[in-house]
Amino acid sequence: MSAGAWLELIASGLITGGIYALVALGLNLQYGLMRILNIAHGEFLMVGAYLTWMAQTSFGLHPLAMVPVSFALLMALGLVVHRLCFKRLAATSPDLDVFEARGLMVAFGLMFLVQNAVSWIWGGDLRGYDFATAPVHIGNAQFAGNKLIVFALALLFALALIVLLRQTLYGKGVRALMQSPVGAQLVGIDTERLHPLMFGLGLGLSGVAGCLLSMAYTISPAMGEPYTVTALIVITLGGFGSMSGALAGGLLLGVIEALGMHFSNPSLKALLSYSVFIAVLLLRPKGLFAK
Amino acid sequence: MSTSVTRRSAVQALAAGAATLAVPALAQAAPVRVGYAIARTGTWTGGAQVSQEPNYLLWAEQQNQAGGLSVKGTKRPIELISYDDRSEVETCVRTYEKLMGSDKVDLVLPPWGSNANFAVAPLANRFGYPFLAPTALSKRLIEMKLPYFFLLLQQPAPMTTALVEMLKANGAKSAALIYVDDLFGLENYAALKVALQGSGISLVEDKSYPPGVKDLSPVLRSMKDKNPDAFIGFTYPPDTILASKQAKEVGFNPKFFYASVGTAFQLYKNVMTPAGAEGVLGMGSWNAKTSAGAKAYFDAHTKKFGGKEPDRWASGHCWAGLEILTAAVAKHGLDRKAIRDYVANTTHETIIGKIRFDGSENVATPGTVSQWQNGEFEVVWPKTVATAALNPAKPAWK
Amino acid sequence: MNERQLFVRDALVLFGLAGWALALPAYASEFVVSLALTCLMYVALSSSWALFCGTTRYLSLATSAFFGIGAYAGALALERLPWLAAIALGAGLATVVAVVMGAAVLHLRGTYFAVLTFGMTELIRHAITYFEKSVTGTVGRVLMVVPERDTIYLTVLALAVLAVATSIVVRRTRFGLALQGIGADEQRAQTLGVNTRLIKTAGFALTAAFAGAVGAAMSVRWTYIDPPTVFNPFIGFQTVLIALIGGALTLWGPLIAAIVFSVLAETLRLQAPQVYLMALGLLLILSVLYLPGGLASIRADTAKGWWRDIRALYEEKRYEWSGEKARDKRRERERRLA
Repeated sequence: MSAGAWLELIASGLITGGIYALVALGLNLQYGLMRILNIAHGEFLMVGAYLTWMAQTSFGLHPLAMVPVSFALLMALGLVVHRLCFKRLAATSPDLDVFEARGLMVAFGLMFLVQNAVSWIWGGDLRGYDFATAPVHIGNAQFAGNKLIVFALALLFALALIVLLRQTLYGKGVRALMQSPVGAQLVGIDTERLHPLMFGLGLGLSGVAGCLLSMAYTISPAMGEPYTVTALIVITLGGFGSMSGALAGGLLLGVIEALGMHFSNPSLKALLSYSVFIAVLLLRPKGLFAK
Repeated sequence: MSTSVTRRSAVQALAAGAATLAVPALAQAAPVRVGYAIARTGTWTGGAQVSQEPNYLLWAEQQNQAGGLSVKGTKRPIELISYDDRSEVETCVRTYEKLMGSDKVDLVLPPWGSNANFAVAPLANRFGYPFLAPTALSKRLIEMKLPYFFLLLQQPAPMTTALVEMLKANGAKSAALIYVDDLFGLENYAALKVALQGSGISLVEDKSYPPGVKDLSPVLRSMKDKNPDAFIGFTYPPDTILASKQAKEVGFNPKFFYASVGTAFQLYKNVMTPAGAEGVLGMGSWNAKTSAGAKAYFDAHTKKFGGKEPDRWASGHCWAGLEILTAAVAKHGLDRKAIRDYVANTTHETIIGKIRFDGSENVATPGTVSQWQNGEFEVVWPKTVATAALNPAKPAWK
Repeated sequence: MNERQLFVRDALVLFGLAGWALALPAYASEFVVSLALTCLMYVALSSSWALFCGTTRYLSLATSAFFGIGAYAGALALERLPWLAAIALGAGLATVVAVVMGAAVLHLRGTYFAVLTFGMTELIRHAITYFEKSVTGTVGRVLMVVPERDTIYLTVLALAVLAVATSIVVRRTRFGLALQGIGADEQRAQTLGVNTRLIKTAGFALTAAFAGAVGAAMSVRWTYIDPPTVFNPFIGFQTVLIALIGGALTLWGPLIAAIVFSVLAETLRLQAPQVYLMALGLLLILSVLYLPGGLASIRADTAKGWWRDIRALYEEKRYEWSGEKARDKRRERERRLA
């Protein structure tokens, strides 16, 4: 294969990986901070995609304009969901293990609820719209315009989140809470406020990811689950709670998949992804990049 | 394109309408009860609501408007008894057990898809209800030799042979293939390999992929590098659209681009735009130009469902099956064994041409290839049933 | 009621239910029988799931994997082996896989375990698909030799009765107590001399055996099986949901919930199928939040307790909104400053 083709292959892997990273970041925030494994994450991503699609086809709104709108809407939804479901769990669970288990079950229920609510409202057909599909030439390689936009935005959001967590006071509070919940509370960091906020932020990010994805792919009510699984694989690779790990893990997974698909076939890729997932969980549960 | 909510409520309203149409005629004769289970939710919905259920509803409405279904001369209204099978095989099985075993309906219509039909075919046999299935595709079903089960769609062997013959006649020397990882993809793959022997066409790449794949661009990129004359995809509608869109993205423009299922749907034209779909080949066997009856059916369907067109493959076969059933009932009444014998032993004239069954398989409809030309999916091979000439060089993606 | 009386009561209830279910095919319609079949399938699956996962709190999502393995084993074996042998083979193969899987994952807890079992299910599904495709050139199996409907019904009934009976018996043995001990506090159980590794593997293998047997029995109803159908994660999800909502720690909870949900699924399917799944999700959330013991733990005073909570909430809100709370706060502050 020519050099140009290799470049295209790896670059397309990176683009897909950027999307994976964005999806994983929200999940990571929720699990790393609050030990809530939100397996309904993909469903909220799907909601963001559907909202963008609806805005575009019914009201003619530009998809890029929907990026902040999906973020805001899903963040609000996240705040509500946290208040209704997880807050009470945190209060009534005797220890962290039980809280995690119960949180998982609640997320399970949410997954069924959200997926079928969307299916009920919008029907089960495939939906999609055309946006910036004209190919863009970079050197010898050729990419779809929308994929490049999605990649750029995904990277932007990921980096913004990492900077937010490192530099701002809120961010430092969040990282403190991740390191030691009790210690953080002792120095006056307000868990009551931060938890819902971060949960909402996590969902907001998944909404943005959904909005971006709708620009480049067809959407259906069942589209969320594979992304939840991929997000899980990514945060496992990157280490639970580590943002930069999720970013690196996502990009890495994208490239592995692209290369895997090239050398074998897409059927094997699924096998490969799950094997990598299980191998990492068993052999290096702290993630590939842990010290 | 109307949203699914309006479409669904339209379908429901029309179903209610069809049911109420039966009421005035009730004064005259007892209704003919026709039962079926179809996917209204779940993964099979897309296909079922394009290729099958609309045809059932249209048929019942048309017959009732003409006074009812002719049962050996007496006109009786049709009463449709239908359930959602939720795209679950178990639910499908249970519903048909109910319809045939408990409710003892007069006739049944089949569900959508090979999996469901595999499950209900033995039931059809057990209860003695003839099934004319328009969306089942498998050599194995035919091998089961079930006397009450008939497959209307052309099977993999004739379809792939037609494709290979067409490619060979137009000078193609190499092809690249992707196929979905399930019975449909595998049977077509095996049939294609057989058809390619001695054809002079080499397969430069063949890759399989799992259903629901999200990204085919690495595969398409490496195909582009190998520059084959033809691209063949044994794909389902979501993958067909994905492959088409991503081929455009990576700049993969072979002379022949063939994607099996989904190209016959109006959805394809809508998503890819008519200009974008130009020149794309796929599995299709009819359109409004095939016969006068086909045009009448096409217009009636589009009118009833607010602009939603039937698909250019299975829908036609579904309607043909209903035509056969109508003729059978007119001649033999509701004696299911007699209906079955009539279906098995007669050559039928339908909107898509002659249909004749050898065992379970329809051997009269030839394998065909269709192509999008100027916003219509024309049958281009074989020349005997073609509605337009093949355009042997697909323009670059728009 | 003492221990022995409880045991007799449980056994009698089981006997009565089994007898009623046994008589069903004789007088009920095909449809009711097939509904009962699905119901019994979930009784077997959720009771055996709760037996291990409920007590030890290791939430396994691998039920679909074992179901599918059983289905495939049964499909392959039916051509050569008699019916019961095929079922036994399905159960046996699933058990072997469970032991291997258990060795790898049973030392992890909580969410790791749940996520891993899910990952393994998908891995097995893709592996079998790939293997079938490459080696045998096909991807599904057609079942040509299919037993009578009544045979299938009796087999699944027997499995369901066996699952509940096993539950009844196990919780009175040392094995059952060890399982409960692991669920309460694993480390302490270990220090008290329980061989947790062995017990966990045995429990996991038990759930797998039942799932495998049920899979082998049910697959013949579908004539054609392929990996997406028999490894459908929804089977596993529904099992877990039913067991949790019914009350994973209780004996009768999964059974009650299985019946309730089968009936609910059937009635809702006719009107609004998505509503059934939405209701399932909502019920799970509500039960985890407000009824952690599940349906079976509802007693007379549960409702009273809820009523008390609602009244207390009402009182609190009324206090707040009428301004009394603000006034009290002000008075308190004045008193402190004074």
